[in-house]
Amino acid sequence: MRFSLIKLASVVCLVGCFSGIGIAALTPEQVAQLPPPAAHPVDFAKEIKPIFEASCIKCHGRGRDKGGFRLDSRATLLQGGDSGPAVIPGKSAESELITLVQGVDPDNVMPKKGSRLTPEQIGLLRAWIDQGLPWDQSISLGRQEPLNLKPHRPEIPSGPSEANPIDRFLAPYFATNHFKPPTTVNDRLFARRAWLDVVGLLPPPEALETFVADRHPDKRRQLVLSLLADSKNYAEHWLTFWNDALRNDYRGTGYIDGGRKQITSWLYSALATNLPYDRFVAELIDPKPASEGFSKGIVWRGVVNASQTPQMQAAQNISQVFMGVNLKCASCHDSFVNDFTLADAYGLAGIYADAPLEMVLCDKPTGKKAALKFIYPELGAIDSQADKPARLKQLAQCIAGAQDGRLTRTLVNRFWGKLMGRALVEPVDEMEQRAWNPDLLDWLAEDFAAHNYDLKHLLEQIMTSRAYQLPAVDLGEKTGSDYVFHGPGVRRLSAEQFRDALTSLTGIGYSSPVAEVVPSESEQKKFAVPIPVKWVWNDAQAAEKAKAGHVYFRKTIQISTPPADATAVVMCDNSFTLFVNGQKVGSGNEFKNVYLFDLRPFLKPGENLLAVDAVNNLPDNSPPTPEKTVPGTENPAGFLFYARMRQSEPGAKQTNDFASDKSWLASDTKQDGWQKPQFAADGWQPAVVLGDTGMSPWRVNKASLATKLATAYPGKVRASMVAADPLMVALGRPNREQVVTTRPSAATTLQALEMTNGGTLADILKRGAEKLLADPAAANDKLIPRLYEKALGRKPTERELALARGVVGQPPQASGVEDLLWAVTMLPEFQLIY
Amino acid sequence: MKTIVCRSPRHGSDVLNRRDFLKTASAATLSALAAGYARPLLAATEEKIKPTADTVIVLWMAGGMAHTETFDPKLYTPFKAGLKPDEVLSTFPQIDTVVDHIKLTQGLEHLAQVMDRATLIRSYTAGDLGFILHSRHQYQWHTGYAPPQTVAAPHIGSVIARALGPLNPAMPAFIDIGQRFDLGEGEELKAFHTAGFLGSEHGPFIISNPEQAVESVRPPAGMSPSRFESRDKFYRELAANSPIGQYGSDFQQQSLLRSLDNAHRLLSSPAAKAFDLALEPKASYDKYNTGKFGLGCLLARRLTEAGARFIEVTSEYIPFQYWDTHENGHTRMVDLKKSIDAPVAQLVLDLEERGLLNRTLIVLASEFSRDMMIEGKPDKKVKDQVTVPEVINDLKYYGMHRHFTDAGSVLMFGGGVKKGYLHGRTADERPCKTLEKRVIIEDLHASIYRALGISPKLSYEIEKRPFYVTRDGLGQPIQELFA
Repeated sequence: MRFSLIKLASVVCLVGCFSGIGIAALTPEQVAQLPPPAAHPVDFAKEIKPIFEASCIKCHGRGRDKGGFRLDSRATLLQGGDSGPAVIPGKSAESELITLVQGVDPDNVMPKKGSRLTPEQIGLLRAWIDQGLPWDQSISLGRQEPLNLKPHRPEIPSGPSEANPIDRFLAPYFATNHFKPPTTVNDRLFARRAWLDVVGLLPPPEALETFVADRHPDKRRQLVLSLLADSKNYAEHWLTFWNDALRNDYRGTGYIDGGRKQITSWLYSALATNLPYDRFVAELIDPKPASEGFSKGIVWRGVVNASQTPQMQAAQNISQVFMGVNLKCASCHDSFVNDFTLADAYGLAGIYADAPLEMVLCDKPTGKKAALKFIYPELGAIDSQADKPARLKQLAQCIAGAQDGRLTRTLVNRFWGKLMGRALVEPVDEMEQRAWNPDLLDWLAEDFAAHNYDLKHLLEQIMTSRAYQLPAVDLGEKTGSDYVFHGPGVRRLSAEQFRDALTSLTGIGYSSPVAEVVPSESEQKKFAVPIPVKWVWNDAQAAEKAKAGHVYFRKTIQISTPPADATAVVMCDNSFTLFVNGQKVGSGNEFKNVYLFDLRPFLKPGENLLAVDAVNNLPDNSPPTPEKTVPGTENPAGFLFYARMRQSEPGAKQTNDFASDKSWLASDTKQDGWQKPQFAADGWQPAVVLGDTGMSPWRVNKASLATKLATAYPGKVRASMVAADPLMVALGRPNREQVVTTRPSAATTLQALEMTNGGTLADILKRGAEKLLADPAAANDKLIPRLYEKALGRKPTERELALARGVVGQPPQASGVEDLLWAVTMLPEFQLIY
Repeated sequence: MKTIVCRSPRHGSDVLNRRDFLKTASAATLSALAAGYARPLLAATEEKIKPTADTVIVLWMAGGMAHTETFDPKLYTPFKAGLKPDEVLSTFPQIDTVVDHIKLTQGLEHLAQVMDRATLIRSYTAGDLGFILHSRHQYQWHTGYAPPQTVAAPHIGSVIARALGPLNPAMPAFIDIGQRFDLGEGEELKAFHTAGFLGSEHGPFIISNPEQAVESVRPPAGMSPSRFESRDKFYRELAANSPIGQYGSDFQQQSLLRSLDNAHRLLSSPAAKAFDLALEPKASYDKYNTGKFGLGCLLARRLTEAGARFIEVTSEYIPFQYWDTHENGHTRMVDLKKSIDAPVAQLVLDLEERGLLNRTLIVLASEFSRDMMIEGKPDKKVKDQVTVPEVINDLKYYGMHRHFTDAGSVLMFGGGVKKGYLHGRTADERPCKTLEKRVIIEDLHASIYRALGISPKLSYEIEKRPFYVTRDGLGQPIQELFA
C-alpha cells in the first residue's frame, strides 16, 4: 500500500534544504527586513525547543537528517548540513538558518511543509543565536532511545514470598488505582479458562469433577502443569496463534505456482517439543529448508511494488512479529508513524537479498543503496561484506540474542494479551509504547529469558497468578489509554476453539488433517503399520506405464463388532473414489497426497464391502476419456490402501488391519452396481501386486503413513489442522495473506447468519444429534445433563432442564436434540470465556 | 462525555453523543467500534457530494472481455482458412443500436435496444502489472490496489458497505453472486473477496448459485419455518434463564445476542423472499434464464427491489473458462454474448419500469480486454501466454485469445449517468488501443463512489496510516459521465 503522493512529494522536496548552494550574505536591505531579535534572555527549553519540535525535527531530528543536517544537539546544529554551517553563534543576521526561515529566497524557504515561522518566532531564534546558542545539555532532539528495547530486570516489590511475582507487581498498582481485587473465580470457571487457554479444548466432565473435588491447595498449578504436559493438544491449539502470526496456512495465494512455502511441519514440532523461543526465532530468521517459508514470503508473478518484494516482506514481518514495530510505512518512505526510515527498511531487507537492493522511494528508484543493518543497530552489527548465510546468522543473533529485550517483551506482551483479553502494551504491534505497568512487562520478559525462553513456563507464570484468576471484566468500553487492569477481559472462543468444542459435544470432527506435520516418536510408534502394504493395479507394468482409464477394485472383510478405530489410508495415482457397502466415503485427486477416512460410520457387523473406483489420468493429468485414451498416453498408475482396525478393549493385541494386496478383485469394466455389496463380481481378476510402499515412482515411506495416522486419530482431527471452512471463516479465522496478531472477537451479523442457517454447522449438528441419540445415555434421561456438563461444565438448572426436555421431546427426537445443541452452542455462556 | 463522529454520508457529519449513538447503531456498527476496526479519517478537504444512486450492481465479465468483439466494433473479418491473424480485428459484424452514434457487435441485439439508457466507456485501461494474471488484475479492479498489499485491502463492495451501511437494514449490504472459491485460482479470488481491515461485518454475503440463493436466507435444509421459530424462541428462553447473569452483562454478550437477532430478522423478514427465484413469474424468469449469469441478473433485480446496497453478479472466474478465451474465441463469444445480452437488457428495463433505475448504478466490466496479437499494451508488451499461428486454418484459432490491457469497454446504466453517451475512443486499426479520454481504475472507482456520494479521498485508519478508498486518494470522478 502506498500513501498520498501529494503529501509525500512535499516531504521528499525537503531533501533540498541545507544541501543546496550556500546562500550569499544578505544585503543591508534584507537584513533590515528581518524581524528584530527579541529583547530578553531566551530560554531554550521554553522558547526555542517548541519551535524546533513543531517545525524542524520531522526532517532534521529524531534520527532524520535531510540535507545532511541534524538538529539533535548544539553540536550537530553548529556542524550544519551538506551546504555548510547553519548558524554562526552571535551573528543571527549571517546565519543561514535565519535566512531560510525568513524566506529570503522564495524557492528555498524553511520549513518546506506546514506554516511559516512568525516574525516573533524568528525574533526569538535571532536572539537565541545572538546570545550564543544556550542549549541545556540534557535536552536532545536526536533519536531517542527506543522504549522497551534493552533488557531490564526490576526488583520484585515486597510481598509474601509465596505470592506470584505478577501479583506482587500488581499490588502497588492496584493500590495506586484504588482497586481492591475481588476473590478469584471458582474452580469451574478457572478450569474452563485453563483448558481453553492451554490446549484449546473444553474440560471433559470427568476431569472437571475430579479437579473440583480435589482438596489439594496447589491444584490449580497442578492442573496448568498437566495441561501444559499434553504436548499434542498444546501444539494443536497454539498452532492457530502461530499460523496467524507467521502467516502460515495450508491454502492461500501463492501456492498455485510455487510462490509460497508452508512451515507447518517445522512449526508443529517446534511447539510439540517446546522449542525455546530464542531458537524458534533464530530458526525462522536464519532458516532451515523446513522453516524458510516465513522469510520467503508470498510471491505473485508479475511486477510487484518495491515495498512488497519478498525481502521487504521479510523485513516487515520480522519487525512486526518479533519486535512489535511497524516497518510497512518505512518500506516506501521515511515513516510518519514512527522513527524508521526508508534506509532502515532497506538496511534490513537487504540482508535477505542476494545482490544489493536499490532504494525505491514511493515507486521512484533513488539510485542509492542502503547500508545493511538491523532496525535497532544497538543490538548488533551486520557485516555488509559477509555472504548471505553469514549475514542471516548475524541477524538472528541481533534479534534472538540476550541483548534484545524487545523480543521477549513483545512475546510476553502477546501472551498476556491472549490470556487476559488485553495486553500490557496496546496495540500489540506498537512495542515502542509504554506498558500500563512497565515493570511487570520488563520482569515477565526477563523471567522468560531467564527460564531459557520457555513458552510453557511463561504460560504457567501468568496462569498461576491471582491476576489471571480474577473475575472477568467487560472490556468493551475499556480499550483506550485510560485502561486500568481489573482482571482478564471477557473473551470469545476462537473459530478453532468453537469448532473443537463442537467436536467434543457431538463427536463430529474432521476426518483428515490438511496440515502436514510430524508427530512425536511415541505417537508414531503407536500408529506403526504392522502389516505389508502393496501398490496394486490390474497390470504388472502399471508402475511404469498403464493405460489411462478406470480400474475398479473390490474387497470384502468380516468384522464381528464395530471397531473403536477404523481409519483408512489411501493413495492413488491419479484419483479415486472410495465406497463402503455401496455408500460413498470420499475421494481424492492428488496422487502425492495421503488421504485418510474414518470408516466407522459406514461399517456394520458381519460382511462389509470396500469398493474403489481408481483412475489413471492422461499424461497431462486430465481425466481420461475414451477418445483421448490412445496408444502413447500410458503413464504410471497405482493404488495403495491400508486400514487400521482396532477394538477398544484394553490389551486387545489382535488387529483386524488389512491393506491392498492380491486378495482384492479388479476389473477395468464399469458395470452397474459394481460398488454395491450384492453385486456378483463374476469374471473379476485378483489385483496385481506392483511392489512395496517404497517402490518407484512413488517412494512412499511406510513410516509416513503412521505419521499421517497419528495426526488423524479418528474424530480427533482438530480445527487448526484443516483448511478453513465457511463456519470458521465466519467466526473470524483469517485468510493468512498478511501477518495477523489480533483477531476481532465481536459478533457480526454475517457470522450469525452462518451460524443460524449455514450448511457447515447444520450438518455437524444433524450428525451430532444422531450420534448422541445412539448413545445409551440418551435412553436413560442423561442426554441433557450430559450435554450441559460437556458444554458448560455444570448441570442444568431445573428450569433449563424443563425447557430442554420440552424441545428434545419424549422420547428424544433427533430434530429436538439438534435444536438443543444449536441453542446451547449459541449461548453467550458457551461462546464466551468468563 | 466521549463523542463519536458518524461519518456515513447518509448522516452527513452528524456528531452524536455516545448514548444516542448506542441507541441507534446497529449491532454491526457497534461491534466495529469496539473491536478495534479501522476508523474513518476526516479529510479536511473533503467536499460533500450529493448522491445520485443508492445501489450499485456490478456485472462482472470474468476472464477478460474483448472490446472489439462486444461493445467496440471494428472491421469484421469472417473466418476462412488461410487468414492471417493480424488481419482480424473483430470476428463479428457491427450492428446498429437505438442510438445513432453507438454501434455494437452482432449478438448484443437486446442491449442495442437499451443503449439510449446507457453510458458506454470505451477507453478503460487496465494497470501494468507485468506478466498477466487474471487474479491480480481482478484484485486490482475490485480493490483499486495491486496485490500483494501490506494490509488486507477491502473489496469495493465492502468499502461501500462500510461507508453507507445497508439500504434496507434487513439486507446484507454486500451481496456477491455467482462465484465459487474451491476451484482454479480460488485462493487468489478469496484474497480480494473480503472486507479486509474494515472487518468481516462488511464482507461479502456469498451466493455461489443464484438458483439456490434462497437457501442462504431460509432455515437450514429440512427445518420447517415453525420449527425454526420455535428453535429461536427456545434459544431466547434459554439465554434469558442462563445463570450467566451472575457475571453481569457485557459487551461481548450483547454483541452476540444482537448479531443473532439481526440474522433472525433477515431470515424471517419479507426481504428474504427476494432471494427466492421460484417466486418470479415464469414469463419473467424465462427472459433472464440464459443460465447462471442470467439468473444472477434476475436475482440482482429482486435484491435491488428489496433494498440491497451493493451487488456483484459474476459470470464466474475459472481459468480458461467463460470470458477467459484462450482458444475457440469466436465460437465461445457467441455463447457468452447470448448469456449476457437478454438478461442485462431486461435488468435495465425492469428496474426502469419499477422506477429504480434512476437510483441504481449498473456497471458491466471486466479486468481487461483481449486481442488476437498483443499481450499487454502495444508499448509495454509482456510475455505471451497464447500461441497464435502464422496462418489460421482452424476455427479454434479464430478469436481474441491474448490479454490486451490498453483498452476495454465498461457499460453503465442508471444511477445518474448520462443516457446514450459514449465516452472515449479507440483506434480502428490494430493496435485498437485507447486514443481519447483514458479511464483508469482509480477514476472509475471515484465515479462509482461519486454516484453514491462517497469521496474518493475517504480514508480509513489502519495501523495508524490512512488507507484511501481510491489509491492514495488520487481517484477523480469522471464528471462527463454524469447527467
